[in-house]
Amino acid sequence: MEKAYNVSSPPAFCVGANEKGNSSTYVTQPLSHGTAEAAARISKHVSRDATGCSDSRELGEAREDIGRSTVLVTDSPSGGTVSNCVIPEQGCDSATNGFTVSTMVGAKAGNSSAVAAVNREEMDGNALQRISLAEKNKESSAEEVDACHPPLNFVTAAETVESLTHSCNGQLELSCTAASRTVPEGLSNWDTDSVIQSTLSSDAVIRPPINWSMTPDKEAKMANGGLFIGHSSAKLHTETVVTIILDGAATCLSNTQCEKPSSIAMSAREGHHESCNIRVEPDGAGAQPRTQANIAGDLSGGATSNLTSQGLPSSPAPTKDPCRVTAKPDTIQGEEPSASGHLGDDLSSRPHPQALRTRTVPNSVSYDSTILSPGDEDGETFAELGTQGHSDRRFMDVSLSSRNTFESSRRQSAPGDIPEGLSVVSADPSELALQSKRPGIAEYFGRSLFPKKQREPKGPSQNVPGWKLFGKVPARESAPKDSRTIQQESTPDGLTSVSTPNLLSAGEFEARVGKAGPGGTSAGTSPTQPQQGRRKNLEFEPLSTTALILEDRPANLPAKSVEEAQRHRQEYDEMVAEAKKRELKEAQRKRKEMKERFKQEESIANAMVVWNNDILPNWENTRNTRRVRELWWQGLPPNVRGKVWSLAIGNELNITPELYEIFLSRAKERWRSFSETGSETEADDGASLADRESSLDLIKLDISRTFPPLFIFQKGGPYHDLLHSVLGAYTCYRPDVGYVQGMSFIAAVLILNLEEADAFIAFANLLNKPCQLAFFRVDHDLMLKYFAAFEVFFEENLPRLFNHFQSSNLTPDLYLIDWIFTLYSKSLPLDVACRVWDVFCRDGEEFLFRTGLGILRLYEDVLLQLDFIRSAQFLTRLPEDIGSDRLFACIAAAPMLNGNRKWSQVFHALIKDNKDMDRNCNPALKSL
Amino acid sequence: MDILWQYQFRIILLGDSTVGKSSLLKRFTDGIYSDVADPTVGVDFYARSLDIEQGIKIKLQLWDTAGQERFRSITTSYYRNSVGGLLVFDLTNRKTFDHVREWHKEVSEHILPHHMVYILIGHKSDLNKDRKVTRDEAEQLAAEMGIRYVETSAKCNSNVDRAFQLLSRDIYELMKMGEITTRDGWDGVKSGLTTGVLYPGEEDIEVEPREKSCNC
Repeated sequence: MEKAYNVSSPPAFCVGANEKGNSSTYVTQPLSHGTAEAAARISKHVSRDATGCSDSRELGEAREDIGRSTVLVTDSPSGGTVSNCVIPEQGCDSATNGFTVSTMVGAKAGNSSAVAAVNREEMDGNALQRISLAEKNKESSAEEVDACHPPLNFVTAAETVESLTHSCNGQLELSCTAASRTVPEGLSNWDTDSVIQSTLSSDAVIRPPINWSMTPDKEAKMANGGLFIGHSSAKLHTETVVTIILDGAATCLSNTQCEKPSSIAMSAREGHHESCNIRVEPDGAGAQPRTQANIAGDLSGGATSNLTSQGLPSSPAPTKDPCRVTAKPDTIQGEEPSASGHLGDDLSSRPHPQALRTRTVPNSVSYDSTILSPGDEDGETFAELGTQGHSDRRFMDVSLSSRNTFESSRRQSAPGDIPEGLSVVSADPSELALQSKRPGIAEYFGRSLFPKKQREPKGPSQNVPGWKLFGKVPARESAPKDSRTIQQESTPDGLTSVSTPNLLSAGEFEARVGKAGPGGTSAGTSPTQPQQGRRKNLEFEPLSTTALILEDRPANLPAKSVEEAQRHRQEYDEMVAEAKKRELKEAQRKRKEMKERFKQEESIANAMVVWNNDILPNWENTRNTRRVRELWWQGLPPNVRGKVWSLAIGNELNITPELYEIFLSRAKERWRSFSETGSETEADDGASLADRESSLDLIKLDISRTFPPLFIFQKGGPYHDLLHSVLGAYTCYRPDVGYVQGMSFIAAVLILNLEEADAFIAFANLLNKPCQLAFFRVDHDLMLKYFAAFEVFFEENLPRLFNHFQSSNLTPDLYLIDWIFTLYSKSLPLDVACRVWDVFCRDGEEFLFRTGLGILRLYEDVLLQLDFIRSAQFLTRLPEDIGSDRLFACIAAAPMLNGNRKWSQVFHALIKDNKDMDRNCNPALKSL
Repeated sequence: MDILWQYQFRIILLGDSTVGKSSLLKRFTDGIYSDVADPTVGVDFYARSLDIEQGIKIKLQLWDTAGQERFRSITTSYYRNSVGGLLVFDLTNRKTFDHVREWHKEVSEHILPHHMVYILIGHKSDLNKDRKVTRDEAEQLAAEMGIRYVETSAKCNSNVDRAFQLLSRDIYELMKMGEITTRDGWDGVKSGLTTGVLYPGEEDIEVEPREKSCNC
């Protein structure tokens, strides 16, 4: 194998596929200018540094028809050799899909890395924080570069591509690609110390690299669309493995960084059908990661599989034998990397149906126009997987001199026989069901809510019924003993069952390729005629129809009459035509969706840049400008959200992190004495003893009741203690307010977006605002004023509904209390709530009531039809599918103007002329 | 849109935080139980109809209140418009039992001169081994207050329906006796679409308790 990408060559993304015939064609596809540039820049970084360590991971993904997928992650050796990873995929069906996916991955990854690079170069380390407000590692430039466009809806279908990278200075960049429909299932088992979970379906979603600094107790919380948690202790740098096996195919992610570099490369030739399972198991103290790759497959004739270590080809794998490759990096530090390949035929491999024969077409796409690996192997597809561990020391050394070494070079082969084989990513119904059943965190993450670092979970212990989200290596004291690879077998089903919902059609494929890079589009689609022809075919010959095969009549049966045969053929044709139509429609829909997602993603990425470059550095001057306010209204990019919230909420109370620590330790003392004596000793700070006791109890109980579907605040969840700390410290800080139900939600949202101390500061200051203080102290009279003011605007904006509510005696307190107390975080979907928070931070309390009006307006027609109890039920349990755009349109249509009085004027007037007037004219007050 | 009902009773659930008021209601109205539930902030609403006797359908409008003491000033405002109240405590938490008396007193005083029909609910009966309140004690307390006592479990669906049945019946009986009447400006009891004609003297058919054995 070529040591193709040495340090100075731009990382390239490569898709290689082998045409049916032996002609090998290469498509070189510049993915985007930005990408190439970024790549170049990054590689410059790399070359600059003495050791020349480049760490790249290659992800390949390909799929076979039913949920068959392979994902390879490769680590390049620090010597600068990058192992290429090409995964040939077999089975006609898989081809397109795999291709598509990989293309996208590459494109996106490239794209995002562009952003990353730019930022690294031009901006302050912290400028782009993907993982927002990560702990700033002051000395070691733990910059967090957010390379991500928050993929948003990309991911909604549980599709993500992430890439994992190690950058040199102790940072870990992760990008991973995974494909699987089975995510939820997979999750349940993920106890691995570090888990990367990606939810992917065939139409892979792109997830740009995410970086975070790898100081021991750092965690990354990140979310968009996949969930992705990694943790590695600073020393060990042992990363993660994810394996999802779908029906014999494997999705593997491996990311190791170990004492000894090692690599495994495997190549498989045409006609192989294989499934790969790569495991990286950090061994012992994590110093000796063991990398294991299992390749199981049935290799159809003449196939060879090459093992390459360090980019050097080595022993061919026995044909027709499933092989197991195990590489065990040596444990001695600093030694030359070595890899031992071990081939065994002990792997269980299921015979695969003939139908899955593979014909692959080499087709490489790279932005630097460098044709990578498959080049010299005519008509052959090969796959390589490389995994390398890096000597930790070396790694660190490198990091001193370069800020960023990583770029991912990827290659993926687009397998198969595209023409007939349209990509189908299928999920068996059960998987789909599972997905829909567990909207929980994946959804939230999919909506890219949590840009922050991940907290460590307490351990794998939790026996949540669903899936395990966070598994991590507890920081230093317990080194990763057995981060396990999790393999999830999905129901071995249908190579034949092609499920329509997941069809990735050619249309979409095209759309993606088009999107992949402005410059790349044409290159991607046009260069190879065969390719083009095939894709064209794809457009019009959706895959699932290939499942409908008009068989010849078995010989042992009497022949059909001519008419009958003709009729049958006709019926068959109709069926096929019908199916095609459906699929095309579906494809169009998907394409549209994808377009929108891209658009959204892009606009968020743009907004992020603006926020980071223009607004935040010049906060006081810009915050009130029209442009900023407009941008603000559109929603804050998740990775600046926490920061903007903090700035906007301010710190009138002048709370310092030290102060927080003090109150926290006081709270801890209290818990201790409380648990020892069963009661509290000091009863002199304002609240009654009983009240405070119940506060302590309640906090505990409520924490686990905070966003239960997320499973992160529950006992054993990664944020459980954090939430406990913030709330506990607050009760010590403000004993006069204490803990009030509803607070846990506010604190939780802040914790999801801010670091602990910052979250506390924001929390305390937020609750110190007049409106919040009135509510959380349950100052009933003042609350009534708020409700009364709300009614003034309610009547003004929605007179019909207002009258309807009045006639059924539905007073605003019945729904507003819940909304205001929790700042909508309990009642609205979390992503929508965050947008409300955004503008609440901009506009203050007024916006909370305006949002209430927006909700009423949004559902006015529905509510007009409902009686008291149904309306009340509706409003206290709002529909879950409430979309932020629609809601915000309604909010925008609800100006807070009464005549020409503004909210504050109305409110203060109410406070002034108090009792006499209000009692008479405000139903809310009357009823109370 | 609604099934016709003769009467609508507004019933409020009272009791300390985390005794399981919301779970009880979810079980009763939706037939589901989940281990984790949002804490109730302010008030939450549920509804279900009950056939209390032949031809008499009662719509129950159920108000689920926040249990935290801090919310007391809010929830008190809802007492007045309720005809029935479930005083719920957690069988495994002594404190919640001790507070029942306070709840009872507070509500009763607040709604004077009117009255509310109560039932005492010992909840979480599935956790029998953690029980901190004996049945005798609870029955004694109920007797003192002059109300019924039922032990329920939302988790095992034990006695849940029965508790609401009993309370509804009691209210209905009192209505028949003229102790409770609909009145203007009061939402505790409403007459339904069909004019509620009472048939005094009609025997109440005793509903067999549908207690299920607890399998959890």
